[in-house]
Parts: sequence; C-alpha cells; structure tokens
Amino acid sequence: MFIVPIVYAAYLSFFQDKLVGGNTFVGLANYGKLFQDTQFWDGVGRVVRFTLVQVPLMLILSMALALALDSLRLHGAKFLRVTIFLPYAVPAIVSTLMWGFLLGIKYGLFGSLNEALGTDFNPFAPDTTLISIGVVVTWAFTGFNMLIFYAALKAVPRELYEAAAIDGANELQIVRAIKLPALRGSLVVTVIFSIIGTFQMFNEPQILPSMVANSGVTTFYTPNLYAYNLAFTGSQQGYAATLALVMAAITVAVAYAVQIRGLRNASDH
Amino acid sequence: MRLSQKARLLAGVLVPMLALTACSGGSGSATGGGGDEQVKVTVWSWDGTVERAVPGFQAANPNIKVEVVNAGSSQDEYKALDNAIQAGSGVPDLVMFEYFAVPYFAVPGKLADLGEFGVDKLKQDYVPAAWSDVTVNGKVYALPSDYGPSAMFYNVTTLKKAGIEEPPATWDEYYEAAKKIRALGDDYYIAQDTGDIFFLLSLIWQAGGRPFKVDGNKVHIDFTDAGTAKAVAFWQKMLDEGLINTKITGWSDDWNRALNDGTLATQTMGGWLTSTLPERAPKAAGDFRVALMPQWQQGDKVGAANGGSSFGIPAAAEHKQAAFKFLEYFTHGGGLSSRVDAGAFVPNVSVLENKAFQTKTNTYFGDQKVGAVLAEASEIVGSGWQYSPFFEWARSIYGDLASPFYTTGKGSLAEILEQWRQRCIQYGNEQGFQVD
Repeated sequence: MFIVPIVYAAYLSFFQDKLVGGNTFVGLANYGKLFQDTQFWDGVGRVVRFTLVQVPLMLILSMALALALDSLRLHGAKFLRVTIFLPYAVPAIVSTLMWGFLLGIKYGLFGSLNEALGTDFNPFAPDTTLISIGVVVTWAFTGFNMLIFYAALKAVPRELYEAAAIDGANELQIVRAIKLPALRGSLVVTVIFSIIGTFQMFNEPQILPSMVANSGVTTFYTPNLYAYNLAFTGSQQGYAATLALVMAAITVAVAYAVQIRGLRNASDH
Repeated sequence: MRLSQKARLLAGVLVPMLALTACSGGSGSATGGGGDEQVKVTVWSWDGTVERAVPGFQAANPNIKVEVVNAGSSQDEYKALDNAIQAGSGVPDLVMFEYFAVPYFAVPGKLADLGEFGVDKLKQDYVPAAWSDVTVNGKVYALPSDYGPSAMFYNVTTLKKAGIEEPPATWDEYYEAAKKIRALGDDYYIAQDTGDIFFLLSLIWQAGGRPFKVDGNKVHIDFTDAGTAKAVAFWQKMLDEGLINTKITGWSDDWNRALNDGTLATQTMGGWLTSTLPERAPKAAGDFRVALMPQWQQGDKVGAANGGSSFGIPAAAEHKQAAFKFLEYFTHGGGLSSRVDAGAFVPNVSVLENKAFQTKTNTYFGDQKVGAVLAEASEIVGSGWQYSPFFEWARSIYGDLASPFYTTGKGSLAEILEQWRQRCIQYGNEQGFQVD
C-alpha cells in the first residue's frame, strides 16, 4: 500500500503533459532532461552543503545539551528541557515568519544592531540567506534531537556509573567510556532524520521571499521547492514526478550509507 | 516573489469575503412538478462581491440555483480547474480568471467561445482595453469583472516636504521629483522596486511596447520594440541613479511601515490600491491622493493596466446557458450595482461614467473624488496588449532572473528581459507552442 503513490509517480515520470497537444509518452526523456538540469543540481548542491555544515553543528549542540541535562548538575533541568524542546512544536511557517521579523534589517533586531555598530550586515542577502535558514532550522530541531539523545542516556543502567565510580573514573572519563558509546545508535537515527529533513527543505525558502526583498531564494532553491513550482506553476507534473523520484532515491542512498557505516562502526566496539 | 505578486493581484478583489457556503441549496434537481427542470450553476470565484448578486438572480430565475465556491485564488484555482478538466468531472460552470490567465485556458480550447451567447452586444459597455484582455485570436472567452487601471498614488505631505507642489505629470518630472525626494534623506524614495514585473510591464504598456504577440499557437516575444526600449531605459536610469528603494519589497511589513511614515512618496499600481492603502497605511490617512500615471509626452493621455480579472465558461461545463445568464446578470444586469456597492471596481462604462460614482468623495484620500480619476485611468488604457498563454509560469521565474541585478547592480533590465525571453521560448516550445 505504501508503494502505490511511488509507483504512480514513476508512471507519471514517463509522460509529458503539454499545454498544447496534451499528455504524451516520452519514455526516459524526463530523466535525461533532469540530469542535465543545472537548476536541479544547483538545489541539490545547496541542500548537500547545508547538510554538511548545519547537521553536525546542530547534533553536537544537541548532544552537549543532553549530556548537560543528564549530568544532574543543572538547576531547573526540567524547565530547560521543555524550553529547548518548545521550538520543535512551532510550525516551520510560523518560525520563519518570526525569524524574518527578528533578523530583518530595517525594523528587526539586525536593524538596531547595524545602527548601533554602524555596520551594514544583512542576514537575508543572497550570500547569507542559507546561513540564516540554518539558524532557524537549528533553533527548531536542536531540542528534538536533544530529547532522543537524552532518552538514550537515561537508558544506560545506573550500575555502570556505580562501577565506574568504584574504579575511580572521573566525570570526563565516564562521558568518554560510557555515555558517548551509548549515544551511537541514536546518533545514527538523528543523522538520518536530519538528512531527510534537510533534503526536503521547503517551508523556509517558500515563505522568505514574501517577507524579504531579493534574499536570493529562487524558484529552484531546494529540490522540493523546484518540484513544487514545476508542478504548480509550470504544469510540468511528469517532470516534477521525475524530480521527486530521483531526489527520493538520492535521499535513500545517502541515508542508507549513513546507516551501514554507523552500524558497522557500532559493531566494531 | 510569487506570494507577494499573488497577494497584489488579489488585493483588488479582497473586498468583504462573505461566508461562501451561504447558498448551497439542495443539490437534487427538482424534476416533475410541471415547471422547467432545475439546474445548478457552480461558480468558482475568489471575488467576494459575486456572492452579492446571487439572491437577486435566483429570485428572477427560480429554476436556476447558483452555488459560489472559493476554489482557491489565482494559480491554486487554475490548477484545480486543470485537474477537473483532465479528470472530466467536477468542472464548474463559471470560473474567475485574471486577465493574463485567459489565453492560458483559451488557446488549448478549454474555454467556451462566448460568441454563441451574443456577447458582442456587451462590448460597448466595456472600456476597450478590458474587452481586448478577454479576446483571444478574435474570439471572446470571458467577461471582465474587475479592473486595475494603473494610477499613481502620491503622498502630498512628503512631496511638499521635498518642495514639490504638483504631482509629476510626466516621467521627466517624475525623475526630477525623485531626486528632490531622495535629497530629503536616507530613507526617502519616490518608490520601491525589487523586481516587480507587473509594474515594469505597465510602464512598457503605457510607452506603447507590445512585447507579447499571440496568434493561435504562435507566440512572438520581443523586448526591443521602441516603446519597450524607452520604458526599460527610463527605469534603468532610475535604478542606476539610486532613486528607487531596492530594499523594500511590496506587500511586506517594511512596505507597510514605509507607507505609514511617508518615506515612500508614490506607488504606481492598479486602481485596486484604493481599497488596500487604507488598510496598509492607516497612519497616512489624508496624505495620499490619486493621479493618472505620469505621461511619456507632455499633454498625452495614455494609461496601462495592472491586474484585474474576468469570468469565463469552461468548454466542459454542463450548464453553459444558465452560467452565461448569471454571468451577464452580475457583470451587467441587476447584480452589478450590488457588487459595485460592495467595493468592486469594474470596467463598465455605464458605471464609470455614472455621476454618483464620479462625484463620491473618499475621506482617506483627503476627500478626493477618486472614482473620477480611476474612471479616466480606465478609459485611457492603451489597447492591443496581449499576454503570452504561459504568462503564469513566466512571471513565476522572473524573480530568479531579476534578483541578482537588484542585489548586486550587475547587469541590466534589458539583459534580464532577454534572458526571460529565452526561457519563455524554451518553455513555450516544450509546451507545444511555436514561440520565437
């Protein structure tokens, strides 16, 4: 049953629907066109670059926060846990709007900052927009990943810590020898989730252009946005289906590679 | 870019949106009982004023039930219509289209030719340009229902501050005024532009450029004719000399603020801004006035349009006759005045030349008789303008091409338009048109 929409997309990808002349079977022509489509690869390159930078930073931050919470040395840990997780509950559309206002150069926070410092920094210029989106995404998902890590840490049997204490291990050694290895499985999961999430990035670049002038967000900024625009303004459903399938294949391949590698490393230990 | 442009086009019709379920009477058709068979006409519209015409129409035509449905705005609706036509079921009887979308449906034969209903007799009640907006290859496929004649909205207080007593009547005066306004300080500009294709096209339109020529499936695109070149060179000069704010995008929060505090001195847009401006800039009440677009030649009176929409009947519609009856009712008959009262701005000569319409004052605009200005702006719209049948797609990618120029200043409008033309040619040919 889960396969039905995918099969249908595959079927669509063999057709071209023309405004004049209707639907025609074109074989693999859509695939040939896609592989030569510089706009598509531009979007793929962008989400890959984003993944390479944003995902490690976010996961390190999440892990550090989970370790801090688990150390039981923080006051108000419960409150902190909820606050860090809260952004995950904010819909991406709302959070993009919020950050758009916050980072706005005219009346937002950066407007005041630039005025105070006499600088001219624009968080939504073509060169900086992707970094700003990275900040928004990190803000939204750090808490979610932190909870996964935190749950894994909670599952570590307390006896291990007691044994370590008896052996005279200090806190740092406990983290290195017990806690980090315990996080390995959840690290694989969070990396895979994050890659899938990033590869499907859509809401942020979809909303931004209506808030900020010339942020550099194009109709093909991410593969998902491109597919949407192909299907809904270009009436190129067949081509959009092709793009969706190829993108799904790339995502699955990357996620699978991460999983294989993560599990192999895990069994090494 | 897409969202904002859509919002802009909608603005003209976002007059009170009524509950859209008001009149979804029984769906079963009442056969028997001796009378004519009852038919139900389904209307797709995001213009809230159409609903106003329903009760009167149903009272006069007891055997026709009208159901007005909001099937989404602009491209959402077009998409839904395309799907319904493809599926062969659920095709509405009457559908709202922005003018630029009419050829998109008319050329592939998805719209009924309204000639068979004798629409030609209605021609004289429309300003000529609106009639030409719904005419494709010599046939009429829709009736105009609202209009967006281009006009210049200007802030008197800001102009006075800059030492300008009269609003610029020519583009040369506009250029001089822009320099004076710019001299007021960092944030003062005569207008903003971050790649607004509809504005640029209205400038080209007024200058006599006709970049799109459609003949059957043949589309000719040319951004080098004299009118186009003149308009493009002028706007290029305005941008090059830093007289236009390229940081504020229309319909954004920044735009609202700039309109409120008077730092954007003018807006050259469709007449529908009349209803939008009071909502966007309540603090500037009394500051704004409306004038015709500045002219290219002193003493000329030529205008352009920016937005507006119409209603057509899909070729696959079930109740074409009844649908046309309702269409005629709310665009000409008893239903028209209720729509005008609700805020619709229509291109009907009978309305535009009506005394009450022309003499009604508007407090937001300092008690100016706004209707008279917009009526004149409607009547002088240059004729013979056409949109390419795939304009909906074309405008969606324009921002991709224009954005680098607006952010870095590298390149030129003429180069952007040439790239745009190339992309249109490629896309159009892929879609089965013959484009050059």
